[in-house]
Amino acid sequence: MGEGLVVEGLESGYGEMQVLWGVSLRVNRASMTVVLGPNGAGKTTLLRTIMGINKPWKGKVIMEGEDVTFVPPHEKVARGMTLVPEGRRLFPELTVEENLLLGAYTRISTRSTAGYREALSQVYELFPRLRERRGQKAGTLSGGEQQMLAIGRALMSEPRILLLDEPSQGLAPKIAIQIIDLLSNLRRERGLTILLVEQNIAAALKNADYAYVMEQGVIIKEGERDKILHDESIRQAYLGL
Amino acid sequence: MVFTNAVRRALRKARLTLAAYIILGVLYLAFPHYSQLIATLMFYMILAQAFNIFMGMTGYIDFGYVAFVAMGAYGMALAVESLYELGWASIIVGFLLAVALSVALASMVGAIALRLRGAYFAIATIGVNEGVRYLIEGANLVGGSEGVIIVRELRATFGRETANFIMTGLADLALLLIGITAVMITALILSTRVGYALQAIREDEDAARALGINVTRYKVMAFTISAGIGGLLGAANWALKGGYVEPAHVFNIHYTVEAIVMVMLGGPGTLLGPIIGGLFYGSMNYFLGVIKPGLQLLFLAPILLAVVVALPKGLMGYVRERVKDPRLRELLT
Repeated sequence: MGEGLVVEGLESGYGEMQVLWGVSLRVNRASMTVVLGPNGAGKTTLLRTIMGINKPWKGKVIMEGEDVTFVPPHEKVARGMTLVPEGRRLFPELTVEENLLLGAYTRISTRSTAGYREALSQVYELFPRLRERRGQKAGTLSGGEQQMLAIGRALMSEPRILLLDEPSQGLAPKIAIQIIDLLSNLRRERGLTILLVEQNIAAALKNADYAYVMEQGVIIKEGERDKILHDESIRQAYLGL
Repeated sequence: MVFTNAVRRALRKARLTLAAYIILGVLYLAFPHYSQLIATLMFYMILAQAFNIFMGMTGYIDFGYVAFVAMGAYGMALAVESLYELGWASIIVGFLLAVALSVALASMVGAIALRLRGAYFAIATIGVNEGVRYLIEGANLVGGSEGVIIVRELRATFGRETANFIMTGLADLALLLIGITAVMITALILSTRVGYALQAIREDEDAARALGINVTRYKVMAFTISAGIGGLLGAANWALKGGYVEPAHVFNIHYTVEAIVMVMLGGPGTLLGPIIGGLFYGSMNYFLGVIKPGLQLLFLAPILLAVVVALPKGLMGYVRERVKDPRLRELLT
Protein backbone atom coordinates (compact mmCIF):
# COMPACT_ATOMS: atom_id res chain seq x y z
CA MET A 1 0.00 0.00 0.00
CA GLY A 2 1.29 3.46 -0.82
CA GLU A 3 2.00 6.09 1.77
CA GLY A 4 -0.61 8.79 1.95
CA LEU A 5 0.80 10.81 4.79
CA VAL A 6 3.96 10.30 6.81
CA VAL A 7 4.95 12.30 9.87
CA GLU A 8 8.47 11.94 11.24
CA GLY A 9 9.65 13.17 14.62
CA LEU A 10 7.33 16.17 14.63
CA GLU A 11 7.89 18.74 17.35
CA SER A 12 5.84 21.87 17.86
CA GLY A 13 4.17 24.03 20.46
CA TYR A 14 3.07 27.51 21.41
CA GLY A 15 5.65 30.11 22.34
CA GLU A 16 7.84 28.59 25.06
CA MET A 17 5.59 25.63 25.64
CA GLN A 18 6.42 22.51 23.68
CA VAL A 19 3.42 20.29 23.00
CA LEU A 20 4.58 17.69 20.49
CA TRP A 21 7.74 15.82 21.46
CA GLY A 22 8.70 13.95 18.34
CA VAL A 23 5.55 12.39 16.94
CA SER A 24 5.90 9.89 14.10
CA LEU A 25 3.08 8.19 12.29
CA ARG A 26 2.11 6.95 8.86
CA VAL A 27 -1.26 6.83 7.18
CA ASN A 28 -1.54 4.48 4.24
CA ARG A 29 -3.23 5.69 1.11
CA ALA A 30 -7.00 5.14 1.17
CA SER A 31 -6.98 4.06 4.79
CA MET A 32 -8.50 5.48 7.91
CA THR A 33 -6.17 6.04 10.81
CA VAL A 34 -7.25 7.33 14.17
CA VAL A 35 -5.28 9.10 16.88
CA LEU A 36 -6.70 8.53 20.33
CA GLY A 37 -5.77 10.19 23.57
CA PRO A 38 -7.00 12.22 26.52
CA ASN A 39 -7.53 15.95 26.57
CA GLY A 40 -4.30 17.88 26.36
CA ALA A 41 -2.38 15.05 24.71
CA GLY A 42 -1.58 17.30 21.75
CA LYS A 43 -3.94 15.77 19.20
CA THR A 44 -5.27 19.09 17.91
CA THR A 45 -1.76 20.55 17.82
CA LEU A 46 -0.66 17.53 15.83
CA LEU A 47 -3.26 18.12 13.13
CA ARG A 48 -2.65 21.87 13.07
CA THR A 49 1.07 21.31 12.71
CA ILE A 50 0.62 18.76 9.93
CA MET A 51 -1.58 21.30 8.15
CA GLY A 52 0.96 24.06 8.73
CA ILE A 53 -1.32 26.34 10.76
CA ASN A 54 1.18 25.88 13.60
CA LYS A 55 4.79 26.02 12.51
CA PRO A 56 6.68 22.75 12.94
CA TRP A 57 9.79 23.16 15.12
CA LYS A 58 11.42 19.94 14.06
CA GLY A 59 10.60 16.87 12.04
CA LYS A 60 8.99 16.22 8.72
CA VAL A 61 5.58 16.03 7.09
CA ILE A 62 5.54 13.99 3.90
CA MET A 63 2.51 13.97 1.66
CA GLU A 64 2.40 11.20 -0.94
CA GLY A 65 6.17 11.03 -1.01
CA GLU A 66 6.74 14.76 -1.14
CA ASP A 67 8.21 16.77 1.73
CA VAL A 68 5.65 19.44 2.61
CA THR A 69 6.85 20.32 6.13
CA PHE A 70 7.07 24.04 5.48
CA VAL A 71 4.47 24.36 2.75
CA PRO A 72 1.90 26.95 3.92
CA PRO A 73 -1.67 25.75 4.55
CA HIS A 74 -3.20 27.34 1.45
CA GLU A 75 -0.63 25.51 -0.68
CA LYS A 76 -1.39 22.24 1.05
CA VAL A 77 -5.09 22.62 0.32
CA ALA A 78 -4.26 23.25 -3.33
CA ARG A 79 -2.14 20.08 -3.31
CA GLY A 80 -4.95 17.96 -1.88
CA MET A 81 -4.88 18.04 1.94
CA THR A 82 -7.68 19.62 3.95
CA LEU A 83 -8.41 19.93 7.66
CA VAL A 84 -11.84 19.90 9.26
CA PRO A 85 -10.97 21.95 12.34
CA GLU A 86 -12.01 21.26 15.90
CA GLY A 87 -15.43 22.61 16.78
CA ARG A 88 -16.38 22.74 13.09
CA ARG A 89 -15.51 26.42 12.67
CA LEU A 90 -18.21 27.25 10.18
CA PHE A 91 -18.87 30.81 9.06
CA PRO A 92 -22.14 31.22 10.99
CA GLU A 93 -23.30 34.38 9.27
CA LEU A 94 -22.89 32.93 5.78
CA THR A 95 -25.35 30.59 4.13
CA VAL A 96 -24.78 26.87 3.75
CA GLU A 97 -23.93 27.29 0.10
CA GLU A 98 -21.57 30.20 0.72
CA ASN A 99 -19.75 28.08 3.29
CA LEU A 100 -19.40 25.33 0.73
CA LEU A 101 -18.16 27.70 -1.95
CA LEU A 102 -15.49 28.99 0.42
CA GLY A 103 -14.35 25.40 0.77
CA ALA A 104 -13.58 25.44 -2.94
CA TYR A 105 -11.60 28.64 -2.58
CA THR A 106 -8.40 27.27 -4.07
CA ARG A 107 -10.33 26.00 -7.07
CA ILE A 108 -12.63 28.85 -7.96
CA SER A 109 -11.49 31.65 -10.17
CA THR A 110 -13.25 34.65 -11.56
CA ARG A 111 -12.88 32.87 -14.86
CA SER A 112 -15.16 29.90 -14.44
CA THR A 113 -17.55 28.19 -12.11
CA ALA A 114 -16.82 24.77 -13.60
CA GLY A 115 -14.23 24.06 -10.91
CA TYR A 116 -16.73 23.89 -8.10
CA ARG A 117 -20.11 23.11 -9.70
CA GLU A 118 -19.20 19.44 -9.92
CA ALA A 119 -17.87 19.32 -6.36
CA LEU A 120 -20.96 21.14 -5.11
CA SER A 121 -23.38 18.67 -6.64
CA GLN A 122 -21.35 15.80 -5.23
CA VAL A 123 -21.51 17.25 -1.74
CA TYR A 124 -25.26 17.77 -2.10
CA GLU A 125 -25.60 14.19 -3.25
CA LEU A 126 -23.74 13.05 -0.17
CA PHE A 127 -25.71 15.32 2.17
CA PRO A 128 -29.19 15.94 0.74
CA ARG A 129 -29.99 17.84 3.94
CA LEU A 130 -27.51 20.52 3.00
CA ARG A 131 -29.19 21.00 -0.37
CA GLU A 132 -32.52 21.54 1.42
CA ARG A 133 -30.91 24.16 3.61
CA ARG A 134 -28.59 25.76 1.10
CA GLY A 135 -29.94 29.30 1.62
CA GLN A 136 -30.04 29.10 5.40
CA LYS A 137 -27.39 30.66 7.63
CA ALA A 138 -24.91 28.05 8.83
CA GLY A 139 -25.32 29.19 12.42
CA THR A 140 -28.95 28.09 12.43
CA LEU A 141 -28.25 24.44 11.58
CA SER A 142 -28.42 21.63 14.14
CA GLY A 143 -25.19 20.14 15.47
CA GLY A 144 -25.26 17.15 13.15
CA GLU A 145 -26.04 19.29 10.14
CA GLN A 146 -23.23 21.65 11.06
CA GLN A 147 -20.81 18.75 11.16
CA MET A 148 -22.07 17.60 7.77
CA LEU A 149 -21.47 21.09 6.47
CA ALA A 150 -17.97 21.18 7.93
CA ILE A 151 -17.13 17.90 6.21
CA GLY A 152 -18.87 18.95 3.00
CA ARG A 153 -16.97 22.21 3.01
CA ALA A 154 -13.68 20.34 3.35
CA LEU A 155 -14.66 18.00 0.49
CA MET A 156 -15.24 21.01 -1.78
CA SER A 157 -11.51 21.33 -2.33
CA GLU A 158 -11.56 17.68 -3.52
CA PRO A 159 -8.81 16.52 -1.17
CA ARG A 160 -7.04 13.20 -1.34
CA ILE A 161 -6.03 13.50 2.31
CA LEU A 162 -8.58 14.58 4.88
CA LEU A 163 -7.66 15.49 8.46
CA LEU A 164 -10.50 15.64 10.97
CA ASP A 165 -10.34 17.03 14.49
CA GLU A 166 -13.01 15.40 16.64
CA PRO A 167 -15.89 15.36 14.18
CA SER A 168 -18.16 13.72 16.75
CA GLN A 169 -17.69 16.46 19.36
CA GLY A 170 -20.94 17.69 20.78
CA LEU A 171 -23.09 15.30 18.81
CA ALA A 172 -25.64 12.77 20.04
CA PRO A 173 -24.01 9.29 20.10
CA LYS A 174 -26.18 8.04 17.27
CA ILE A 175 -25.31 10.98 15.02
CA ALA A 176 -21.64 10.70 15.94
CA ILE A 177 -21.65 7.10 14.71
CA GLN A 178 -23.43 8.15 11.50
CA ILE A 179 -20.76 10.74 10.80
CA ILE A 180 -17.92 8.32 11.35
CA ASP A 181 -19.64 5.66 9.23
CA LEU A 182 -19.93 8.22 6.50
CA LEU A 183 -16.22 8.96 6.65
CA SER A 184 -15.56 5.27 6.37
CA ASN A 185 -17.71 5.15 3.23
CA LEU A 186 -15.84 8.08 1.75
CA ARG A 187 -12.60 6.25 2.22
CA ARG A 188 -13.97 3.10 0.59
CA GLU A 189 -15.75 4.73 -2.32
CA ARG A 190 -13.41 7.62 -3.14
CA GLY A 191 -10.14 6.26 -1.89
CA LEU A 192 -9.79 9.14 0.57
CA THR A 193 -6.89 8.97 3.00
CA ILE A 194 -8.24 9.89 6.42
CA LEU A 195 -6.47 10.89 9.62
CA LEU A 196 -8.92 11.26 12.44
CA VAL A 197 -8.49 12.56 15.96
CA GLU A 198 -11.23 11.34 18.27
CA GLN A 199 -12.43 11.09 21.82
CA ASN A 200 -15.38 8.95 20.83
CA ILE A 201 -13.12 5.95 20.79
CA ALA A 202 -15.68 3.21 20.33
CA ALA A 203 -17.10 4.78 17.18
CA ALA A 204 -13.69 5.69 15.79
CA LEU A 205 -12.17 2.28 16.37
CA LYS A 206 -15.09 0.52 14.77
CA ASN A 207 -14.12 1.93 11.38
CA ALA A 208 -10.42 2.60 11.62
CA ASP A 209 -7.71 0.48 10.04
CA TYR A 210 -4.95 1.56 12.33
CA ALA A 211 -4.76 3.46 15.58
CA TYR A 212 -2.23 5.49 17.52
CA VAL A 213 -2.54 6.38 21.16
CA MET A 214 -1.06 9.67 22.19
CA GLU A 215 -0.28 10.99 25.65
CA GLN A 216 1.55 14.16 26.65
CA GLY A 217 2.82 14.87 23.19
CA VAL A 218 4.19 11.43 22.32
CA ILE A 219 2.80 8.27 20.74
CA ILE A 220 2.69 5.64 23.47
CA LYS A 221 1.07 2.82 21.54
CA GLU A 222 0.09 1.90 18.02
CA GLY A 223 -1.35 -1.01 16.14
CA GLU A 224 -4.00 -2.48 13.91
CA ARG A 225 -7.49 -1.79 15.04
CA ASP A 226 -8.02 -5.20 16.63
CA LYS A 227 -4.80 -5.05 18.58
CA ILE A 228 -5.73 -1.70 20.10
CA LEU A 229 -9.30 -2.77 20.66
CA HIS A 230 -8.12 -5.76 22.67
CA ASP A 231 -5.29 -4.09 24.50
CA GLU A 232 -6.09 -4.48 28.17
CA SER A 233 -4.67 -1.14 29.36
CA ILE A 234 -6.42 0.77 26.61
CA ARG A 235 -9.70 -0.93 27.29
CA GLN A 236 -9.45 0.13 30.90
CA ALA A 237 -8.20 3.64 30.34
CA TYR A 238 -10.27 4.72 27.38
CA LEU A 239 -13.09 2.35 26.66
CA GLY A 240 -14.27 1.88 30.19
CA LEU A 241 -14.62 -1.84 29.62
CA MET B 1 -12.67 40.11 -20.52
CA VAL B 2 -12.66 38.60 -17.06
CA PHE B 3 -11.55 41.91 -15.67
CA THR B 4 -14.23 43.89 -17.46
CA ASN B 5 -16.83 41.48 -16.10
CA ALA B 6 -15.67 42.17 -12.59
CA VAL B 7 -15.72 45.91 -13.28
CA ARG B 8 -19.24 45.67 -14.64
CA ARG B 9 -20.42 43.79 -11.55
CA ALA B 10 -18.65 46.31 -9.33
CA LEU B 11 -20.28 49.24 -11.15
CA ARG B 12 -23.69 47.66 -10.70
CA LYS B 13 -23.09 47.25 -6.98
CA ALA B 14 -21.76 50.78 -6.67
CA ARG B 15 -24.65 52.63 -8.33
CA LEU B 16 -26.09 54.18 -5.17
CA THR B 17 -22.73 55.00 -3.66
CA LEU B 18 -21.42 56.65 -6.81
CA ALA B 19 -24.68 58.57 -7.07
CA ALA B 20 -24.09 59.93 -3.57
CA TYR B 21 -20.74 61.37 -4.63
CA ILE B 22 -22.09 62.77 -7.89
CA ILE B 23 -25.00 64.43 -6.10
CA LEU B 24 -22.57 65.99 -3.65
CA GLY B 25 -20.49 67.20 -6.60
CA VAL B 26 -23.51 68.84 -8.20
CA LEU B 27 -24.61 70.41 -4.91
CA TYR B 28 -21.09 71.72 -4.50
CA LEU B 29 -21.31 73.60 -7.79
CA ALA B 30 -24.92 74.69 -7.27
CA PHE B 31 -24.48 76.05 -3.75
CA PRO B 32 -21.00 77.57 -3.49
CA HIS B 33 -21.98 78.96 -0.10
CA TYR B 34 -22.11 75.43 1.31
CA SER B 35 -19.11 74.14 -0.60
CA GLN B 36 -16.99 73.76 2.53
CA LEU B 37 -19.69 71.80 4.34
CA ILE B 38 -19.88 69.47 1.33
CA ALA B 39 -16.10 69.08 1.23
CA THR B 40 -16.12 68.23 4.94
CA LEU B 41 -18.78 65.60 4.36
CA MET B 42 -16.69 64.09 1.58
CA PHE B 43 -13.68 64.01 3.88
CA TYR B 44 -15.59 61.99 6.43
CA MET B 45 -17.13 59.69 3.81
CA ILE B 46 -13.71 58.89 2.37
CA LEU B 47 -12.14 58.45 5.80
CA ALA B 48 -14.88 55.94 6.66
CA GLN B 49 -14.54 54.15 3.31
CA ALA B 50 -10.78 53.86 3.50
CA PHE B 51 -10.97 52.61 7.08
CA ASN B 52 -13.72 50.18 6.13
CA ILE B 53 -11.58 48.45 3.52
CA PHE B 54 -9.45 47.02 6.28
CA MET B 55 -11.44 47.25 9.52
CA GLY B 56 -14.87 46.63 8.03
CA MET B 57 -13.82 43.76 5.82
CA THR B 58 -11.44 41.90 8.13
CA GLY B 59 -12.79 42.88 11.55
CA TYR B 60 -9.37 44.06 12.72
CA ILE B 61 -9.36 47.46 14.43
CA ASP B 62 -6.33 49.60 13.69
CA PHE B 63 -6.10 52.31 16.34
CA GLY B 64 -3.12 53.90 14.65
CA TYR B 65 -4.85 54.36 11.32
CA VAL B 66 -4.57 58.15 11.28
CA ALA B 67 -0.78 57.76 10.87
CA PHE B 68 -1.36 56.61 7.28
CA VAL B 69 -3.47 59.67 6.52
CA ALA B 70 -0.74 61.78 8.10
CA MET B 71 1.92 60.11 5.94
CA GLY B 72 -0.08 61.16 2.89
CA ALA B 73 -0.27 64.73 4.11
CA TYR B 74 3.50 64.76 4.64
CA GLY B 75 4.07 63.23 1.20
CA MET B 76 2.20 66.06 -0.49
CA ALA B 77 3.69 68.79 1.68
CA LEU B 78 7.27 67.59 1.17
CA ALA B 79 6.82 67.22 -2.58
CA VAL B 80 5.46 70.74 -2.93
CA GLU B 81 8.04 72.17 -0.55
CA SER B 82 11.03 70.75 -2.40
CA LEU B 83 9.77 70.54 -6.00
CA TYR B 84 7.56 73.62 -6.29
CA GLU B 85 9.67 74.89 -9.17
CA LEU B 86 8.23 72.07 -11.28
CA GLY B 87 4.76 73.62 -11.02
CA TRP B 88 1.88 71.22 -11.49
CA ALA B 89 4.19 68.26 -11.62
CA SER B 90 5.03 68.82 -7.95
CA ILE B 91 1.39 68.24 -7.03
CA ILE B 92 1.24 65.04 -9.08
CA VAL B 93 4.46 63.86 -7.43
CA GLY B 94 2.86 64.85 -4.13
CA PHE B 95 -0.02 62.41 -4.61
CA LEU B 96 2.37 59.64 -5.66
CA LEU B 97 4.63 60.28 -2.69
CA ALA B 98 1.58 60.35 -0.42
CA VAL B 99 0.60 56.84 -1.50
CA ALA B 100 4.21 55.62 -1.36
CA LEU B 101 4.76 56.87 2.20
CA SER B 102 1.49 55.56 3.61
CA VAL B 103 1.92 52.19 1.92
CA ALA B 104 5.51 52.00 3.16
CA LEU B 105 4.44 52.67 6.73
CA ALA B 106 1.58 50.20 6.36
CA SER B 107 3.98 47.51 5.16
CA MET B 108 6.23 48.05 8.16
CA VAL B 109 3.40 48.13 10.69
CA GLY B 110 1.57 45.29 8.94
CA ALA B 111 4.60 43.00 8.82
CA ILE B 112 4.69 43.06 12.61
CA ALA B 113 1.17 43.79 13.80
CA LEU B 114 -0.72 41.59 11.33
CA ARG B 115 0.82 38.55 13.02
CA LEU B 116 -1.39 39.35 16.00
CA ARG B 117 -5.08 38.72 16.35
CA GLY B 118 -8.08 40.64 17.67
CA ALA B 119 -7.41 42.73 20.74
CA TYR B 120 -3.65 42.14 20.50
CA PHE B 121 -3.60 43.70 17.06
CA ALA B 122 -5.59 46.68 18.30
CA ILE B 123 -3.23 47.19 21.23
CA ALA B 124 -0.15 46.88 19.04
CA THR B 125 -1.40 49.56 16.69
CA ILE B 126 -2.44 52.06 19.38
CA GLY B 127 1.02 53.54 19.64
CA VAL B 128 1.79 53.77 15.92
CA ASN B 129 0.47 57.29 15.35
CA GLU B 130 1.96 58.61 18.60
CA GLY B 131 5.25 56.87 17.89
CA VAL B 132 5.67 58.37 14.44
CA ARG B 133 4.59 61.75 15.72
CA TYR B 134 7.13 61.80 18.54
CA LEU B 135 9.78 60.57 16.15
CA ILE B 136 9.11 63.54 13.89
CA GLU B 137 8.87 66.03 16.75
CA GLY B 138 11.66 64.64 18.92
CA ALA B 139 14.23 64.08 16.19
CA ASN B 140 13.15 67.31 14.55
CA LEU B 141 12.57 65.58 11.23
CA VAL B 142 10.76 67.22 8.31
CA GLY B 143 9.97 70.40 10.18
CA GLY B 144 9.68 68.85 13.65
CA SER B 145 6.77 69.97 15.78
CA GLU B 146 6.15 73.01 13.60
CA GLY B 147 5.35 70.87 10.60
CA VAL B 148 5.58 71.86 6.98
CA ILE B 149 3.92 74.98 5.59
CA ILE B 150 3.48 75.12 1.82
CA VAL B 151 1.17 78.10 1.35
CA ARG B 152 4.12 80.33 0.44
CA GLU B 153 5.51 77.86 -2.11
CA LEU B 154 2.11 77.48 -3.72
CA ARG B 155 1.66 81.24 -3.99
CA ALA B 156 5.17 81.79 -5.29
CA THR B 157 4.77 79.18 -8.01
CA PHE B 158 1.21 79.60 -9.15
CA GLY B 159 0.37 83.15 -8.13
CA ARG B 160 -2.14 84.10 -5.47
CA GLU B 161 -5.28 83.42 -7.52
CA THR B 162 -4.30 79.99 -8.76
CA ALA B 163 -2.91 79.01 -5.37
CA ASN B 164 -6.26 79.85 -3.80
CA PHE B 165 -7.99 77.77 -6.43
CA ILE B 166 -5.66 74.83 -5.74
CA MET B 167 -6.44 75.04 -2.04
CA THR B 168 -10.19 75.08 -2.61
CA GLY B 169 -11.59 73.93 -5.94
CA LEU B 170 -8.77 71.63 -6.98
CA ALA B 171 -8.39 70.04 -3.54
CA ASP B 172 -12.13 69.42 -3.41
CA LEU B 173 -12.12 67.95 -6.91
CA ALA B 174 -9.32 65.66 -5.77
CA LEU B 175 -11.48 64.63 -2.80
CA LEU B 176 -14.33 63.75 -5.15
CA LEU B 177 -12.05 61.65 -7.32
CA ILE B 178 -10.51 59.89 -4.32
CA GLY B 179 -14.00 59.14 -3.03
CA ILE B 180 -14.99 57.61 -6.34
CA THR B 181 -11.76 55.60 -6.40
CA ALA B 182 -12.48 54.30 -2.91
CA VAL B 183 -15.99 53.29 -3.97
CA MET B 184 -14.74 51.43 -7.01
CA ILE B 185 -12.00 49.62 -5.12
CA THR B 186 -14.44 48.55 -2.41
CA ALA B 187 -16.98 47.41 -5.01
CA LEU B 188 -14.31 45.46 -6.89
CA ILE B 189 -13.20 43.73 -3.72
CA LEU B 190 -16.80 42.85 -2.90
CA SER B 191 -17.49 41.44 -6.35
CA THR B 192 -14.42 39.23 -6.65
CA ARG B 193 -13.05 36.30 -4.67
CA VAL B 194 -10.99 38.74 -2.60
CA GLY B 195 -14.22 39.79 -0.89
CA TYR B 196 -15.09 36.22 -0.02
CA ALA B 197 -11.62 35.65 1.39
CA LEU B 198 -11.84 38.76 3.59
CA GLN B 199 -15.30 37.81 4.77
CA ALA B 200 -14.05 34.35 5.72
CA ILE B 201 -11.16 35.92 7.62
CA ARG B 202 -13.53 38.21 9.48
CA GLU B 203 -15.80 35.32 10.46
CA ASP B 204 -13.13 32.80 11.42
CA GLU B 205 -9.51 33.25 10.50
CA ASP B 206 -8.39 29.75 11.47
CA ALA B 207 -11.14 28.14 9.46
CA ALA B 208 -10.28 30.34 6.50
CA ARG B 209 -6.68 29.19 6.76
CA ALA B 210 -7.69 25.55 6.95
CA LEU B 211 -9.74 25.98 3.79
CA GLY B 212 -6.76 27.12 1.80
CA ILE B 213 -7.20 30.88 1.93
CA ASN B 214 -3.88 32.70 2.07
CA VAL B 215 -4.99 34.85 4.98
CA THR B 216 -1.73 36.76 5.34
CA ARG B 217 -1.79 37.87 1.73
CA TYR B 218 -5.35 39.15 1.89
CA LYS B 219 -4.88 40.88 5.22
CA VAL B 220 -1.78 42.66 3.96
CA MET B 221 -3.61 43.54 0.74
CA ALA B 222 -6.57 45.11 2.55
CA PHE B 223 -4.29 46.83 5.05
CA THR B 224 -2.12 48.52 2.42
CA ILE B 225 -5.01 49.47 0.12
CA SER B 226 -6.78 51.03 3.09
CA ALA B 227 -3.60 52.90 4.04
CA GLY B 228 -2.99 54.06 0.44
CA ILE B 229 -6.44 55.62 0.15
CA GLY B 230 -5.93 57.22 3.55
CA GLY B 231 -2.69 58.68 2.22
CA LEU B 232 -4.43 60.23 -0.77
CA LEU B 233 -7.03 61.67 1.58
CA GLY B 234 -4.38 63.26 3.78
CA ALA B 235 -2.60 64.71 0.76
CA ALA B 236 -5.74 66.32 -0.64
CA ASN B 237 -7.59 67.34 2.48
CA TRP B 238 -4.81 68.32 4.83
CA ALA B 239 -1.72 69.30 2.86
CA LEU B 240 -3.29 70.72 -0.27
CA LYS B 241 -6.48 72.13 1.20
CA GLY B 242 -4.99 73.42 4.43
CA GLY B 243 -1.66 74.50 2.98
CA TYR B 244 0.26 73.10 5.96
CA VAL B 245 0.88 69.91 7.90
CA GLU B 246 1.25 70.02 11.65
CA PRO B 247 2.05 66.83 13.58
CA ALA B 248 -0.21 67.61 16.55
CA HIS B 249 -3.11 67.80 14.11
CA VAL B 250 -2.45 65.09 11.54
CA PHE B 251 -1.50 62.39 14.07
CA ASN B 252 -4.49 63.04 16.31
CA ILE B 253 -6.06 59.73 17.33
CA HIS B 254 -9.39 61.53 17.27
CA TYR B 255 -9.68 60.85 13.52
CA THR B 256 -9.21 57.11 14.03
CA VAL B 257 -11.96 57.09 16.63
CA GLU B 258 -14.25 58.99 14.27
CA ALA B 259 -13.51 56.45 11.54
CA ILE B 260 -14.41 53.58 13.87
CA VAL B 261 -17.69 55.25 14.85
CA MET B 262 -18.66 55.99 11.24
CA VAL B 263 -17.91 52.48 10.02
CA MET B 264 -19.70 50.81 12.94
CA LEU B 265 -22.68 53.12 12.53
CA GLY B 266 -23.06 52.61 8.80
CA GLY B 267 -22.28 48.92 8.67
CA PRO B 268 -18.83 47.36 8.53
CA GLY B 269 -17.82 45.54 5.38
CA THR B 270 -20.54 47.10 3.25
CA LEU B 271 -20.25 49.54 0.39
CA LEU B 272 -23.00 51.97 1.31
CA GLY B 273 -22.51 51.78 5.10
CA PRO B 274 -19.43 53.99 5.44
CA ILE B 275 -21.05 56.56 3.15
CA ILE B 276 -24.12 56.72 5.36
CA GLY B 277 -21.96 56.74 8.49
CA GLY B 278 -19.80 59.50 7.03
CA LEU B 279 -22.75 61.64 5.96
CA PHE B 280 -24.47 61.24 9.29
CA TYR B 281 -21.44 61.80 11.45
CA GLY B 282 -20.04 64.54 9.20
CA SER B 283 -23.21 66.62 9.29
CA MET B 284 -23.73 66.05 13.00
CA ASN B 285 -20.16 67.10 13.60
CA TYR B 286 -20.62 70.21 11.49
CA PHE B 287 -23.86 71.45 12.97
CA LEU B 288 -23.00 70.66 16.59
CA GLY B 289 -19.67 72.33 15.94
CA VAL B 290 -21.50 75.43 14.77
CA ILE B 291 -23.73 75.49 17.85
CA LYS B 292 -20.90 74.99 20.26
CA PRO B 293 -17.41 73.92 19.21
CA GLY B 294 -16.31 70.73 20.97
CA LEU B 295 -19.85 69.63 21.68
CA GLN B 296 -19.71 66.93 18.99
CA LEU B 297 -17.07 65.00 20.94
CA LEU B 298 -19.61 64.42 23.66
CA PHE B 299 -21.73 62.44 21.24
CA LEU B 300 -19.13 59.98 19.94
CA ALA B 301 -19.24 57.50 22.81
CA PRO B 302 -23.06 57.42 23.21
CA ILE B 303 -23.47 56.89 19.46
CA LEU B 304 -20.98 54.05 19.44
CA LEU B 305 -22.60 52.45 22.50
CA ALA B 306 -26.06 52.75 21.00
CA VAL B 307 -24.89 51.24 17.71
CA VAL B 308 -23.14 48.31 19.32
CA VAL B 309 -26.17 47.52 21.46
CA ALA B 310 -28.99 48.19 19.02
CA LEU B 311 -27.43 47.73 15.58
CA PRO B 312 -24.46 45.43 15.88
CA LYS B 313 -24.15 45.23 12.11
CA GLY B 314 -24.72 48.92 11.57
CA LEU B 315 -27.57 50.63 9.76
CA MET B 316 -26.86 48.77 6.52
CA GLY B 317 -26.78 45.40 8.22
CA TYR B 318 -30.10 46.19 9.89
CA VAL B 319 -31.77 47.26 6.67
CA ARG B 320 -30.35 44.43 4.59
CA GLU B 321 -31.67 41.77 6.94
CA ARG B 322 -35.16 43.15 6.44
CA VAL B 323 -35.05 43.52 2.68
CA LYS B 324 -36.08 40.38 0.86
CA ASP B 325 -36.17 41.55 -2.74
CA PRO B 326 -32.85 40.43 -4.30
CA ARG B 327 -32.60 43.41 -6.64
CA LEU B 328 -33.06 45.88 -3.81
CA ARG B 329 -30.59 43.89 -1.75
CA GLU B 330 -27.98 44.19 -4.45
CA LEU B 331 -28.55 47.92 -4.62
CA LEU B 332 -28.08 48.13 -0.87
CA THR B 333 -24.75 46.34 -0.82
